[in-house]
Amino acid sequence: MAKRADSNGPGLGRSNEPPLLILMSLASGTKHGYALTKDIEDFAGVTLGPGTLYGAIARLEERGLIEATPSDDRRQPYRITGGGRAALASAVKDMRALSDVGATRLGLRILSRRVRNNVVPRGATL
Amino acid sequence: MIRWFPPQWSERYGAGMVALLADTYGEKRVPLRAHLSLKRAAVRERAREFGFSGDATGPGERLRAGLALILCGWSLFMIAGADFAKFSEHWKIATPYAHHTLPNIAYLIVAAAGIAGIAVVLIAATLTLPALFDFIRGGSWSLVRQPILRAVVAVASLSAFTALFSIWAHLINNRDRNGGLVPYELIFLVWCLTVAVTLFIATSAAIVVVRQMSLTQRVVRTLVILSMALTVFMLAIMAGIVLWWGSESIYAPRFLRNSIGSHIIATSSSFPLALVLAVVLMALGLVVAVLGVVRVTRATKMSHVAA
Repeated sequence: MAKRADSNGPGLGRSNEPPLLILMSLASGTKHGYALTKDIEDFAGVTLGPGTLYGAIARLEERGLIEATPSDDRRQPYRITGGGRAALASAVKDMRALSDVGATRLGLRILSRRVRNNVVPRGATL
Repeated sequence: MIRWFPPQWSERYGAGMVALLADTYGEKRVPLRAHLSLKRAAVRERAREFGFSGDATGPGERLRAGLALILCGWSLFMIAGADFAKFSEHWKIATPYAHHTLPNIAYLIVAAAGIAGIAVVLIAATLTLPALFDFIRGGSWSLVRQPILRAVVAVASLSAFTALFSIWAHLINNRDRNGGLVPYELIFLVWCLTVAVTLFIATSAAIVVVRQMSLTQRVVRTLVILSMALTVFMLAIMAGIVLWWGSESIYAPRFLRNSIGSHIIATSSSFPLALVLAVVLMALGLVVAVLGVVRVTRATKMSHVAA
């Protein structure tokens, strides 16, 4: 039975939800608030308001998925924790499985090795 | 803007948020969209702090938050009830005697449920008094002084306003009291607003105080039962008013059209502004109370599971 589309890891929400976007951004390195919003804007095209960003940061910190790093100035950088990496990996896996299903049905080229080997001819495109 | 957030939250994230705003907007004015984002987040964090939403607080706090929601719902009912009581004051004179039965039954339901609801709140307040005295005697008066004094001043002011307004109401004639005198209707609206503000202050004080006090399991269990009963009474009041409204619109439609509030916004239908506002407020109060019941029920289940 296919996994539900909204079960991306431990309650991180859908692919454009702030907690997931923040984890994706921090996966490439420690960032403070402004750097997070800029990076998320670049890779996801989503602009997070200050309230939304810090609300999500607070939730992620409560759950131990990110942590604050020591800082001398008022810009507080955050980094992803081991638990955060695991949660993000699980969410990405779910999203990939979903996108593979969509791509298969559309006859698009599948990037996932698992699906390419079992179902769709190599290089098949629309 | 950071002031809107809970103090603990501001301490942890305030500086970072200020830095984010400075980096994003520099010397420029922070746009409305960012303001709204902050306000929404502040409301969410305050709700989480009080245990109204989220799972950051334990079952005990969530249970109290649920009880507070039910009390808030009741406050809305008090405002709406005062509006309805004033509006429907002379319905018996305007309604043909042969058609008194149904509206009478409805009115009795409203009155009985209203009195029962007030009694429930007074009983609940009395139950928490010993804990309050212990709390104050334990040196914690400074923690609750401000909200309690605000509530006392608000209630005293409202009492004085009500007394003066009642004296004036008895000095003018019937026609002036029932839509014939615009200043009277305007002062009545101001009085309604004062009632609403006083209720808000008193309810807020009650919530702040109860949050801080330590209550025994027995008292908490009794408060849960009382709050469930209060929600049922709210439902009965609303049902009674809707029934009364329906029967009056059939048997005495002129009473609805010519009552207080109908001159402020003229209407030729059986939907007078004052009654519409009362029902809307009650519907809102019921929604808030039901959310409180859900919160209390879930917190109670969690407590049992944890135990």
